[in-house]
Amino acid sequence: MSRPGLVLEVDERTPPVLVHEGEGFRLERFPLGTRVVYPPDPLPGIRDVEAAIRDALLNPLGSEPLPELLYPGMRLTIVFDDLSIPLPPMQAPDIRQRIIEQVLEMAAAKGIDDVELIAANSLHRRMTAAEIKHIVGERVFASFWPERLRNHDAEDPDDMMLLGRTKHGEHVEINRRAAESDLLVYVNVNLVAMSGGSKSVAVGLASYRSLRHHHNVDTLRHSRSFNDPEHSAMHHSYDRMHELLIKHVRVFTIETTMNNETFPAQFSFLNKREWEWSLRDQGAFLAAKGANELAPAKVRRRIWQGVRAPYRPTGVHAGATTEVHPHTLANIHRQQLTEVHGQSDVLLFGLPYICPYNVNSVMNPILVFSLGLGYYFNMYRGAPLVREGGVLIMYHPMPVEFHPVHHPSYIDFYEEVLAQTTDQATIESKFEEQYATDPWYIHLYRSSHAYHGVHPFYMWYWGAHAMEHLGDVICVGANRRAAARLGMRAASTLADALEMASDTVGHSPSISYLHSPPLTLADVR
Amino acid sequence: MGLASDVRLLRRGRDWRGRATVPRSAEPWAPRRESRQFPTAWARTPLARAARVVALDGVLRTLAWSQTRPEVYGTDLLSDVRGPVVFVSNHSSHLDTPLILGSLPPYLRRWTAVGAAADYFFDARWRAIGTALIFNAFPVERHGQDRGGRRGPEGGAAPSRSGRSGRGAVRRGGGTSLDTASALVVDGWNLLLFPEATRSQDGWMRRFRLGTAQLCCQHGIGAVPIAVRGSYAAMPRGRNWPRSGRPTVVVRYGRPLYPGPGESMRDFSARLERAVVRLWAEQDVGWWESMRGSASDDVPAAASANKQSANKQVAAARGPDAASWRRIWEASRPLPPAQRRRRIWPR
Repeated sequence: MSRPGLVLEVDERTPPVLVHEGEGFRLERFPLGTRVVYPPDPLPGIRDVEAAIRDALLNPLGSEPLPELLYPGMRLTIVFDDLSIPLPPMQAPDIRQRIIEQVLEMAAAKGIDDVELIAANSLHRRMTAAEIKHIVGERVFASFWPERLRNHDAEDPDDMMLLGRTKHGEHVEINRRAAESDLLVYVNVNLVAMSGGSKSVAVGLASYRSLRHHHNVDTLRHSRSFNDPEHSAMHHSYDRMHELLIKHVRVFTIETTMNNETFPAQFSFLNKREWEWSLRDQGAFLAAKGANELAPAKVRRRIWQGVRAPYRPTGVHAGATTEVHPHTLANIHRQQLTEVHGQSDVLLFGLPYICPYNVNSVMNPILVFSLGLGYYFNMYRGAPLVREGGVLIMYHPMPVEFHPVHHPSYIDFYEEVLAQTTDQATIESKFEEQYATDPWYIHLYRSSHAYHGVHPFYMWYWGAHAMEHLGDVICVGANRRAAARLGMRAASTLADALEMASDTVGHSPSISYLHSPPLTLADVR
Repeated sequence: MGLASDVRLLRRGRDWRGRATVPRSAEPWAPRRESRQFPTAWARTPLARAARVVALDGVLRTLAWSQTRPEVYGTDLLSDVRGPVVFVSNHSSHLDTPLILGSLPPYLRRWTAVGAAADYFFDARWRAIGTALIFNAFPVERHGQDRGGRRGPEGGAAPSRSGRSGRGAVRRGGGTSLDTASALVVDGWNLLLFPEATRSQDGWMRRFRLGTAQLCCQHGIGAVPIAVRGSYAAMPRGRNWPRSGRPTVVVRYGRPLYPGPGESMRDFSARLERAVVRLWAEQDVGWWESMRGSASDDVPAAASANKQSANKQVAAARGPDAASWRRIWEASRPLPPAQRRRRIWPR
């Protein structure tokens, strides 16, 4: 049995603690009494993954076994999560490949000809052929690419279908091929409690018209947190949409969960608690840090983006979405949940080099904002780790860099929108429509590998709850101009940041540090 | 940040093998190991008793009497004492045990075993052997004992570094020690116990714990209250030899107390503590005044005045309610040598 999560109280015995800061990391000495929230140790992976998948398909929850749902002449669509999860991308073979191969084996045995595979990338960028190949594997790729294996295109009017409106008036519009299929098999990887469940189809195959009902400032302000579906307005909206769409299309969901072995052997010290570092780990730390600092920026990025996580599956569940998802959530909680008693005045965390939207790309300042105030801030259940009016201190160099192919609308959002205001409600009402319907961004989304024009807005809304909750946000080591543009303050060191925070929380605040990655979900009581 | 500073930072808190100490809050929980008691039965064999006569009567008593000026009162009250009984004293110095044992009549001294802190006197084998041989000591567990002198909100010892509360620990740790003590009582041995459980930090009396009273109530045996004064001034904590100039120390015995029928151990413990407090006060105010102060509340006319006087005695034994240094200052004031007779009747 793996060790549960831990809340460490920094004492004079505590060695310096590791902090991520973009494409780098450092050791930091926190003030005595700081609470450090560690995740549970990695759970043991499933020994026979193939057997577990087969078992899940043959003994699904709330559904007939998959082979019984398959028949000759049917339209079968297999939909899978895109490259935004898991993070970092997992070592081959990807769990999605292993599942898709078994589903296709069963479909072939039943003599089904009309099979199509669609990546549920929603308004994310189209994946390249190599990226898709990494997810589905060579055999599937060779058999289906490019005609019957493709990215979802949310801006193709002929390929979208409006299924109706929920009782709250929310449009449910998804991919036509999926909507008109006799069976939709959704293959999911769940890394955080936010993903999976009703979100999979309702978001992954949706259009802007549908997404705007839950990806908006008001909904996100009332999603506390969006990693706690029960208390997330966003998930309530997903559920309503899912309820409507399963009246039109039969969905067979296959959900998987991973343990938290996030970094490969050469970076294994990043997975460990610092006082347990062996001499080898310490050597690896020094070597990795030294080499990282000496390497040219391009090489450094290539190395980091080349990291493949040795994740091992901890659960495979299949069947009706509503039946499957509680099991998935339980597995995620088993791996990530750490009980924390009470909130603190200051929350600290180090932001790593990767977020869902910069795989094989560049982490621009808006993504830093979204990762910090969105994803990391919301890694809680119950109550935020920091009290209302408290201060968030995060570490990231925040260089003003953008990937011109992947994030064209981000550049304009940064230069044009944020230069005028950082207020989310104003941005939503004044600029969102314009960016979402801009023909040039739509063209780049459909034909190039660009994120949709509205995507940077969603990233900005992602931090809506945090911005409403926090008294101040300080970024250690950040580019001052970039931080100021995002409405934050930059500090050179932690001591400076705490000094700056003293205006808000006094000179002896209580401090919590979320030690992540590997991902930690704080269960604040 | 350069490599050198990274190395420096990395080396912080790690030993030469690169191993770091586990932070306290990350230490794994482990069930408490049952402590194995140091066997002391050999110290009560005829051979050991013969050796003790030489070591205690011959050497230690001589040394104590040569380095201090002991004044012993109340031994006449012990003439009717037939064991087993428990000698109960306040405790502020390592001198207390040799002074008490040295002042006891030989027929009681030779049949007296001393309860000694297991974590202090029995932590190393050589010390355990020496203590058991010279003092006929047996180990008393005092887990969670507050050595810092702080008190918790309910009068028990504040939580120790190990996180166990003193009170609960006495109950737990008292189990084995009480068993040993009970066995000794059953075998007819007198016991010398210090219910404060540790030497006073500042020379003043602390609240008694219940173990001694429990033992008396359990076996229906008597307890002889003893007050030792001046030992803190003569040899406080931190000293291993008395101050020069033969400081005066006073050992005062009281009349044996027996648990009454139906008397709870808590009540008996309180009575015992009052008796020691009275003996403490006798040094300052004389026998009659101290007796008046601790007279029974059963006499209604005198009850109110007596209560006030008793409270004064307890307050006097607890020391002044003042800064730590002032308490130590007062406690370390040497006792005047008894040259003139004290008045029994007040003027």
